[in-house]
This record gives sequence, structure tokens and C-alpha cells, in this order.
Amino acid sequence: MSLVAHYLPLLLVFLVAAAICATFWLGGALVGRKNPTAEKLMPYECGNDTEGGRGIRLHVKFYLTAILFVVFDVEAVFIYPWAVLFKGLGWVGFASMSAFIVALLVALIYVWKKGALEWET
Amino acid sequence: MTWWSTLFAVSPLVVVALGALLLMLAEALGRPAPAADGAVVTDVGSGRAGELGIGSAVVLFAGGVFALSLWMVGPEALPGAEGLAPYFIVDRFSAFFGVMLCLGGGLSALLGGGYLDEHGIDRSEFFPLLLWATLGAMALAGAGDLLTLFVALETMSIGVYAMVGLRRNGRAIEAALKYFLLGGFAGALTLFGAALLYGATGHTDLAGIGASVGTIGQPGSTVPAGLVLVAMALVVSGLLFKVAAVPFHMWTPDAYEGAPTPATTFMAVAVKCAAFAILLRVLFGAFADERVASWGTGWPPVLAVLAVATMTVGNLIAGRQESVKRMLAYSSIAHAGYALLGVVAAMRSGMGQASVLFYLLAYTVSTVGAFGALILCGRRGAEAVSYEDLAGIGRRHPVVALAFSLFLVSLAGIPATAGFFGKLGVFLAAIDAELYVLAVVGLLNSFLGAYYYLRVLVYMYMREPSPNAPRAVPMRSGQVGVAIAVAALLVVWWGLFPLSIGADVTAAGSAPMAR
Amino acid sequence: MIVFGDAAEHFVLVAAALFTIGAVGFLVRRNVLVQLMSIELMLNAANLALVSYNRLHATEMTGHVFAFFVIAVAAAEASVGLAIALTFYRLRSSVYSDEADTLRH
Repeated sequence: MSLVAHYLPLLLVFLVAAAICATFWLGGALVGRKNPTAEKLMPYECGNDTEGGRGIRLHVKFYLTAILFVVFDVEAVFIYPWAVLFKGLGWVGFASMSAFIVALLVALIYVWKKGALEWET
Repeated sequence: MTWWSTLFAVSPLVVVALGALLLMLAEALGRPAPAADGAVVTDVGSGRAGELGIGSAVVLFAGGVFALSLWMVGPEALPGAEGLAPYFIVDRFSAFFGVMLCLGGGLSALLGGGYLDEHGIDRSEFFPLLLWATLGAMALAGAGDLLTLFVALETMSIGVYAMVGLRRNGRAIEAALKYFLLGGFAGALTLFGAALLYGATGHTDLAGIGASVGTIGQPGSTVPAGLVLVAMALVVSGLLFKVAAVPFHMWTPDAYEGAPTPATTFMAVAVKCAAFAILLRVLFGAFADERVASWGTGWPPVLAVLAVATMTVGNLIAGRQESVKRMLAYSSIAHAGYALLGVVAAMRSGMGQASVLFYLLAYTVSTVGAFGALILCGRRGAEAVSYEDLAGIGRRHPVVALAFSLFLVSLAGIPATAGFFGKLGVFLAAIDAELYVLAVVGLLNSFLGAYYYLRVLVYMYMREPSPNAPRAVPMRSGQVGVAIAVAALLVVWWGLFPLSIGADVTAAGSAPMAR
Repeated sequence: MIVFGDAAEHFVLVAAALFTIGAVGFLVRRNVLVQLMSIELMLNAANLALVSYNRLHATEMTGHVFAFFVIAVAAAEASVGLAIALTFYRLRSSVYSDEADTLRH
């Protein structure tokens, strides 16, 4: 099968998707009635008035917490397959996972004692 | 009890990992909690970094002793060790690198203890990072599977990124940023190459990949040759980045110069040696088949060109530097070129791999010593960086200057030092592999290299500092002194009696690279 | 397609495209954060390739397990990278890597 014939269906999907998008978007823009008011043009914020500019700076402690969350959270991924296969892996699996969790625990203690979890400072 | 012998087989790694965990606990629990108002308590000059430096050096030397005892017992005699392959290959090669990396890491830790104390850098996380990075390097030297290769490579690299940016000043962070961005890019190249190799062959272990690559071109083979070539190029490029070979060397001078000197030492020594270890494993474990490893096709001609380019570019630019630290960075690029020459020679010569191993060993002790001496030449607030800073050191501080000279002479490859036999071995291997042109180019390059090493000697012994220039006053540090003494002893020992470890190097170099 | 193998080829083509976008993005852009994202894109492209090649070699789960490890490593790498980028921003008030130019010969 030639390359073109092979990818023709994919190309057609793209074209159809683009056509549908264009139809709805252009249809709305051309046919719909426009009646802009100040309220309608506001950024949506749950019915409240918008406060502050858009360039607000978030405190750096959010960054630190988020990073710590990501790192510890991703490590938990290894525990799921181990838990599913717990019986089959036997004591070797248990010992390996214990070592892994102890290492994570030491890391947690380290983070804690270093003050990275202090929210109020 | 296979269980115990398995544990013994990985004991160097276990010792370093346990030591790293203990050190992290000691570092976190032993420090006063931050004051309530959030001000960071500084204990500058309290000697804390010194204690942790000694602690991590002890851990690493213990790891080295375990690796050495593993070598004595003989990895092939251990019943349980085979079960770890291919994820971690226990053989003479990995035991040899275990000793070498623990030596390099331990000496860097000693330099770190002295350096951080003297310069009042209150960042004792340096030492756990160093231990974890060494662990990654040791795992990398034993990796026989693309999975462990990637994880170990990143364990080592991530630790070093943080070590480079340890001092939070502009230069250090800039160095860390450059190293991180290019290092991450190289890691991604290696990983994508690994993924393509897995797709092409269905294997992630180097031995299985090697067997599949061997079937290319035979009837019934399903291995796509083009994909394997692309994958090999990606994997090898990523690794060449770590050894700082031209054209993947751009990060090296900046990262080496901006990093605190002990971190530079670690990068120059442990990272480079571990990267060469895995390069040998990949090339001779997975890509040793003549379809990808002959002089007509595959990697040998490419690597030969890169080896020549690496040593020539490194030497030429090193000669033009005004900063000694930056000169040493370019010189480490040049040294990667000589070692690559040995890698290429190993394609046809039985002594090629052994020559690379001895070269790396000699390079490790000489480089640690040179950076250690450079550290020793500077004081707090007045680090010795440029040639001018070293003027007159030879007369005013003869011991420091003598040690520095010894290491530079060894790096230049002048006889009666370890570095001479390192270069000799590589050139002999090249001649043995009938690569006469490469051997001649290497020889010419070592004359070129001698110029800028000896220039340091000229400044130390024959120049006086200009009257109003700040005079270099060497710091005093027992730890740095011990590290330099150990390095000097080994440089002289291997320089006078290179045959004392000749058989060991040959045994390590002749182990099959993948199983 | 001859190059990428049979069953997985479409997925792997996407992976190759993602990898190329990441690599080009890394080389062209000078914003550190975008470069970081490009590296992540390259790693994820490799993940996609690993997982889709696992269809080709379906007897074992090697590709899937490999992808797990890559995700974990990528998280660690991103956290260190972000920390470095953040410190760089604090010192220079810039996130452009071509402003990292104080280290010159």
C-alpha cells in the first residue's frame, strides 16, 4: 500500500474535523446576534466582580509545595504494581519495597526538618 | 546462601546508599531548626561541612573497600550475582569501576569538606548529593539494560546539576542552568534512542540487543537496520555529551568554571569515568557486531574522527585560556579525546579496553590532585583562578607548588607519572589496532598539551606577582591535604610501577561487556 | 512502513513528530521555561514510543514499566530544573538563556 493511500483516512479525518469546526465557528459569528454589555465582556469569575490585575504574583511557597507533591506523588506509582503482584513477589519483593519506602521516608524527614513544609513562615 | 552472596555482589552500592541516607538524616536532624521569623541560621565556619566531608569520604572509601573485596573474592565465583543481570552486571569491569568511582568520589568529598569550610558556603546538602551521584555513577558502570542505564544516568546527572548550582551566585547558577539544559537534552536523546532500540529489537538488555543486531541482513530477520542505526546514533550522542566529547562539549568550560571546585572535580572525574564505562558497555555489548562496528560502516570511523577533534580542539583552546580552572576544563575535554582513541582501538585490539581503564584511573588521580592543589592555592574571598594568581607560589609555598607540578606533569603525560603510562597504553593500543595515523595524532596532541600545563609551572616558579596584585595565600586544610597526598602517592606509584596493576586492568578490560 | 515496524507505526510516527517538535523547540527557543517544556516533550515522546512498541513485543510489559521509570525520573529532573530556573530568575530577573553570558573565556 502506498504512503498516500495509507494516510488518506487520517487526512480525511483532519479535513472533516476542520470543516466541522469552521462551520460552527463561522455560523455563530455570522448568524448570531451580538448585544455586548459591560457585564458580558467581563472575565467570568463565578458571578463576582473581578479583582486585581491579571499579572498577580503567586507566593513562591506554592511552587515548593507543588514540586514536593509531584516528586513524592510520582514515586507512589511504583507501589501500585507491587501491591497487585504482592503475593507472587514474595519476600524479595517485600524487602525491595520496604527499602524503597524507607528511602522515601528518609527523604520526607529531610524535607520536614529542612523546613520546606513550613507554611506559616 | 545465594541471598547473602547476592547482597555481597551489590554491597558497594548498598554501602553508599545507606551512607547517603544516614548522612541526610544526620545533616537534617543535627542542625538547629530555622528561627521563628524565618531567618536562616548560618553557621559559617563552624566546621560542619568538614565533618560531613569526612563522613561522606568514609562512606565512599568503605564502598570502595567493599568493591575491592568483591574483586578479591572474584565476581564470577558468586552464585547469586548472575540473577541480577542484565539490570546490574556484577563482573570485574563493574567492580573495577566501583573502586575507581569510590576513589574519585571520596577524594572529591574530602576536597568539598575543606573547600566549603574555607569559603563559608553553608550548603551541606552537597555531601548527600555527592553520595547519590556517586551511587548513580556506580550503577551506570554496571548497567547492562537500557532501563538501568537511563535511571542511573539521570541519578548521577540530577545530583550533579544541583551540586553545580550550590553557590547561589550568578556564575554558579548560570553554569548549573547551562549544564542542566544541555544535560537534559542529551538525556532525552539517549532515552529516545533507547525507545527506538526497544522497538527495533524487542529487547532492552544490551546482550539481547547485541544478538538482534547480529541478525541484521540474514534471511528471516525482522530487525530494521535503519532504525537501529538512528537509535545507536541517538544513544551514543547522549553518552558522548556526558564525556564532553566534541561536538557535544560546549557546556563543559562554563559548567566547570562556574561550579564550586569540588563539584568540578567530581564532574571531571566520576561523571566522565562512569560515562566512559557505559559507553564501552553499549558499544561492545550491544553494537559489537561487524555490521555496525567495522571500519567501513558503523561507529568506529565516526568515533575516530570525534576522538581526533576532541583532543585537538580541547588542547588548542586550553592553551588560550587565562583562567587555570577553565584551562583544566578544556584539558579534561582533551583527555576525553585520548580515552576515546582507546575506545576506537578496542574495536580491533585486545588491549584497547584495558588501556582506556588505565587511562581513566591515571586521569582520575591526576585530576583530583590538580583541582585539589588549585583549591589549596586560594583563600576565602580570594580563590586562585588565573595564571597571575599563581605567580610566585613556588618560592613562597613550595609544598603546594610541588604537588601541583606533579599532577600537571602527570596530566601532560611526562614519564615517571601515572599519566605517562595512561597515554602510552592508549597509543600502544592504537598501534596494535593498526591505527597508526591516530596514534601519531595523539602523540602530537600530547606535545601540544604539555605547553599549557608547563605554563602553570612557569608562573609558579619563574614569575613574581606584580607589586599591587593580591598575593595568593594558600589555605590550610587537613582534608584537602590528605586528598592531595593520596592522589600524589597513587600518581607516583602507578608512574613508577605501572605493571603492579597491569594484570588487574587487563582482567577488568577483558570481561564481556553484556550478558 | 519499513522503518518503524508494523503494528505500532502510527503511534511511533506521532512519537517521532513530538520528539522532533521538542528538539527543535529546545534548539530554537531561548526561554528557559519553554526549553524545559521541550525537554519534557522529548521525554514524553520517548514514553509514547515505548508504550506503543510494547504492542509489537506484547509478550512482556517491558515498555510500560520503562515508561513508569521515565515518568518518575522526569519529575525529579523537572523539579531540579525548575529550582535552577527560579534561582536564575531571582538573580537576573530574566528567563532567557541567552542572558546567561557572564561565563566567557
